[in-house]
Amino acid sequence: MENRSFSKSTSSFGISLAVCAVLNAALVIAKESSKIVADRMQKITGHHWTTHVLFMVAVFVALGWSLNRKNNQTDSVTSSTTLIRIVVGGVVGGIVIIFGFYLFAD
Amino acid sequence: MIETILMAHVIFGSGCILSALWVLVDTLNATEANAWRIKWMSRATALCMWLAVLVGGYWYVVFYHADKAIILQGPWPFAHNYFMETKEHFVITLLLLASYLPIAASTNLAANKEAARLVLWVAGMVVVVALMAEGHGAIISAGVKVGLLAKPH
Repeated sequence: MENRSFSKSTSSFGISLAVCAVLNAALVIAKESSKIVADRMQKITGHHWTTHVLFMVAVFVALGWSLNRKNNQTDSVTSSTTLIRIVVGGVVGGIVIIFGFYLFAD
Repeated sequence: MIETILMAHVIFGSGCILSALWVLVDTLNATEANAWRIKWMSRATALCMWLAVLVGGYWYVVFYHADKAIILQGPWPFAHNYFMETKEHFVITLLLLASYLPIAASTNLAANKEAARLVLWVAGMVVVVALMAEGHGAIISAGVKVGLLAKPH
């Protein structure tokens, strides 16, 4: 019989990826719009981009890990179509926001 | 010597595209026999992407400011203002996407067609976004080149 559900880590880190893709775009807008945010990010590691990468990787791992722990307790399973829509929507949406921001707003 | 860093960045980026494409094609024909290859090639995709970002990031933080000045004084300032600004940020999403590929491919794809569909989407997005990154890189390099050519001798 065919298995139609995802593993819990696939669901958890998929949702984390989608959230991080949109959060990444939001951080770009915040950094470019506010000198205070840009300066703070610059101060933390010495370069705003290094801070940006480290922050996004940390959020991806932390959110995926915590969702995975929560899923293990609740036994909930995200449906396949929903997960694909969340992942594709988050990634494409996040990248389109970045392109649009530099094209029209910056 | 410094330029080898930049070449390594491009080579690892190309490795990421090729291995993700491999995952895509193998997943279209996922069986028990190629399951190990899909898993290892998805790990190779993530590894190549991490190496490309580490090497490219080192270049960007330490050496890029000189290139940036040449680009901004040359006839193609958009090579930095648009293409570098977008590239340095959407590659972060690409890094997370490539890191997610081995997680998505950890399921038995031959027995689970829905999981295989997710892997196809993720691998396909890695290929498209990484090709965009390569294209952006080419425009940034061309921006430096036309900036140097435009300098008075």
